Amino acid sequence: MNYTNQIQEIAAKLFAEGKIDVFVGYRMNGFDDNQVPVLITGPQDVSKLVFTDKSVFNLVNYLKTDHTRKKRVGLVVKGCDSRALNLMLTEKQVKRENLYVVGICCEGVVDDAGQKMQNCLECIVPEAVVYDELLGTAGKAETRAYKVNVDIAALAEKPLTERAAYFEEVFENCIRCNACRHSCPLCYCAKCCIDQETAALYNGANTTSAAFHALMTWSLHLAGRCVDCRNCEKACPSHLPLHLLHKQNESVIYENFQEHLAGVIPDDRGAFYKYSLKDPDDFIM
Amino acid sequence: MARVGVFVCFCGANIADYVDVPQVVEEVKRIKEVKFATEYKYMCSDPGQGMIRDAIVQYKLTSIVVAACSPRMHEKTFRKALSDAGMNPYLLEVANIREHSSWVHQKNKKAATDKAMDLCRMAVAKSIANEQLHEISVPVTKRALVIGGGIAGIQAALDIADARIPVVLVERSPSIGGKMAQLDETFPTLDCAQCILTPKMVDVASHPYIELIPYSEVIELQGFVGNYKVKIRKKASYVNFKTCTGCGACWQKCPVKVPNEYNMGIDKRKAIYTPFPQAVPNKPVIDAEHCTMLLKGKCGICAKVCDKGSIDYTMQDEIIEREIGAVVVATGYDMWDPKPYEEYGVGRFKDIITSLEFERMVSANGPTNGLPLRPSDGKVPKNVVFIKCVGSRDEAKGIEYCSKICCMYTTKHTILLHHKVHGSHAYVFYMDIRAAGKGYEEFVKKAQVDTGTTYLRGRVSKIYKKGDKLMVRGEDAQIGQVVEVEADLVVLATAVSAPKDNPDLARLLGISYDKYGYLSEAHPKLRPVETAKAGIFLAGCTQAPKDIPETVSQASACAAKVCGLFAGDTMKKDPMISTINNEYCSGCQNCLNVCPYGAIVTDDVPVGHGSKDLRTVAKINEGVCQGCGSCVAICRSMAINLAGFTDPQIINEIVSI
Repeated sequence: MNYTNQIQEIAAKLFAEGKIDVFVGYRMNGFDDNQVPVLITGPQDVSKLVFTDKSVFNLVNYLKTDHTRKKRVGLVVKGCDSRALNLMLTEKQVKRENLYVVGICCEGVVDDAGQKMQNCLECIVPEAVVYDELLGTAGKAETRAYKVNVDIAALAEKPLTERAAYFEEVFENCIRCNACRHSCPLCYCAKCCIDQETAALYNGANTTSAAFHALMTWSLHLAGRCVDCRNCEKACPSHLPLHLLHKQNESVIYENFQEHLAGVIPDDRGAFYKYSLKDPDDFIM
Repeated sequence: MARVGVFVCFCGANIADYVDVPQVVEEVKRIKEVKFATEYKYMCSDPGQGMIRDAIVQYKLTSIVVAACSPRMHEKTFRKALSDAGMNPYLLEVANIREHSSWVHQKNKKAATDKAMDLCRMAVAKSIANEQLHEISVPVTKRALVIGGGIAGIQAALDIADARIPVVLVERSPSIGGKMAQLDETFPTLDCAQCILTPKMVDVASHPYIELIPYSEVIELQGFVGNYKVKIRKKASYVNFKTCTGCGACWQKCPVKVPNEYNMGIDKRKAIYTPFPQAVPNKPVIDAEHCTMLLKGKCGICAKVCDKGSIDYTMQDEIIEREIGAVVVATGYDMWDPKPYEEYGVGRFKDIITSLEFERMVSANGPTNGLPLRPSDGKVPKNVVFIKCVGSRDEAKGIEYCSKICCMYTTKHTILLHHKVHGSHAYVFYMDIRAAGKGYEEFVKKAQVDTGTTYLRGRVSKIYKKGDKLMVRGEDAQIGQVVEVEADLVVLATAVSAPKDNPDLARLLGISYDKYGYLSEAHPKLRPVETAKAGIFLAGCTQAPKDIPETVSQASACAAKVCGLFAGDTMKKDPMISTINNEYCSGCQNCLNVCPYGAIVTDDVPVGHGSKDLRTVAKINEGVCQGCGSCVAICRSMAINLAGFTDPQIINEIVSI
């Protein structure tokens, strides 16, 4: 998967035609073969742009910044990224007319070790769902049926005490840096509820229970919205398996709310934010 | 430092028998913010309230907890007590230790006491974070909408208009009058329905405070009590009412004949018609479903004969918008269709008719000049069998409830038959005779003696044809035998049923309806006129089957409610509504989607202080918000707070136990 040339051409053309103010893409990091996001402000830097299976980050996150707000932005999105973009559009955080979206028919990205990422192996929406221009051949990617995340399935096998011990051990490493939140495109609140002074319910202490409380709140606020781009995990300095929180919610919602997947359908606010007569109510006493 | 006073009520024995009240008082005294705690037999009584008032002054209390019954019962009472002592009434918290503890844990006093203590602790903790709130004033549009122009709608409209409050009366059919206009004489006094109704109809048309919009339907209602906006679709009548004089040339010459709904299809009307001679407004409309000109573009006779040029075939439906403050719903009832009674031969035998068909025939202005005639051969019947409870009180085929009026109108029908057809004989099959009402029992008794009607207590099992007669087979339970009666005509006292469009109307207005389709009142005994939605009232059979006196009473009650609502220039509203913290709002607009009242809109505010750069946030319309809290629950940014139930209050409650 290499769309470097096409993306450079598109970006150059957009700048030449005056259609965009900035372009958000990927560039090489300068010291190994990994990439970092880049914000390009003019045609002179277009040659920095790359796109390969090392283009792992979800660039939709950068639509939250002042560098892109109220500007006309060119943007590269893979399947998962485009779902996040769909939600950003639905939740009125960005205006579609300000965007020029280059969609990718993603064949999966790889981690530092060159292994295909777990979310890509399980991905069922590899092609961008919102775009102005689509690169790659649609329908080429492997089609898969939805299945429960392998880690979740493995954890579910274990007894409750063992699971609790596992989470206790893993989340002990959280240093409450909030990188997960900052890296998530859908965490765009003006002031996160966890930081609000009035909400004495959340304390800032660096304890496992406080961290877990904050992370649970975070995952519930992303329930039915998380698109499994794994930006949070990539950002986490403590390498927490944050996908466990999100994938558990995702599978429960997929099972109970008419196979709902976040961000696939435009203007779909997600399971928690809409009402349908088909919603399950068997859990209500 | 908060200074809380706690007042625990015995509620006679209701609480004291199952909760150890003195122990609860001792327990709450241990909370450091509680500066005063006491108990009393009836906290809601005047001495009880006096204790609260005195303690507020004596102990300089900053919030009050009353541990007693449900806040639905006495929250207002205690708030008043706080006000009287010069304290903001919203500094009160009610701990419901009756419905939530003593009544539901009668078998375990210890557990009930523990729970009562928990509830008190929570209320104390919450009250510490209570803020002073003030009632909201909302301006009122002093105009009422009445939906339905039957006797209920007419009475409500007249009573409201007599109080010099403008009324918009919307009627679906071309004329007001409703079902009562179809009646001949009315029980129990046998005065002529037309004679008492038509003057009222004329009053409606000529009243300076009533705007009558006939031949139209309500299609949308938006807003909230005191400030509704209604959209009304005025159906195209194809007749210019301003120039039409109602001379009648058009309908005399119209060649199209259509079954006449007013006369239950017994005779025909024209495609351009007024429903009946006394119609108000007395202007014809064209029935677009049957008019040849409108269907095929040929004919045009009515336009030719109209010397005023009032006929306009190009007329379109018109949408009328009005601002109103209150709604009276008076959509009446439908007659139940007796089709399920196959054993009676309904639909097969022409000489089985419904009570309203009989009513039309015996009416002075009816299709048969006031004489009951057999539909099969047009002969005057001698033996007439009346069957009561057709549809009513029949769980298998009809409806479970009693239609209330059938006993009385059937009695009336036996009298009318006796008067109109000499030598006739009436038989009545009945289950019970329900004659509860002023003069009703006397009316039934007198009718039985005067007319010599044979009353047979029992259900009819079968009707079959024998020659040109109908044989009615039923049980006479009083002699325990099957009887057969030879009848020339059978009249079914069909049930009263809810208008079939009521559920649609209820959804449109945002009010509830029951399993039969009747609109639901707010409380079956104490608020029988109001609906659960403020500013919408019910009159007449749209709520449940009623006779005319009851319907008129309820309509007048509605008028009193509307006048009460409009008594001031503004309306007071509970301050328990949502507020949005713009700083925290991320503008995701989830709250807009979950608000059931449409109380949230978007607003553009500066990004920072003094900034010209704007961003979009949510904004609550104070007048519309009902304080349900849906938006609070959905808001991820925790930017929304519900006054009286703020995050600090709720968190205090949770932390206290």
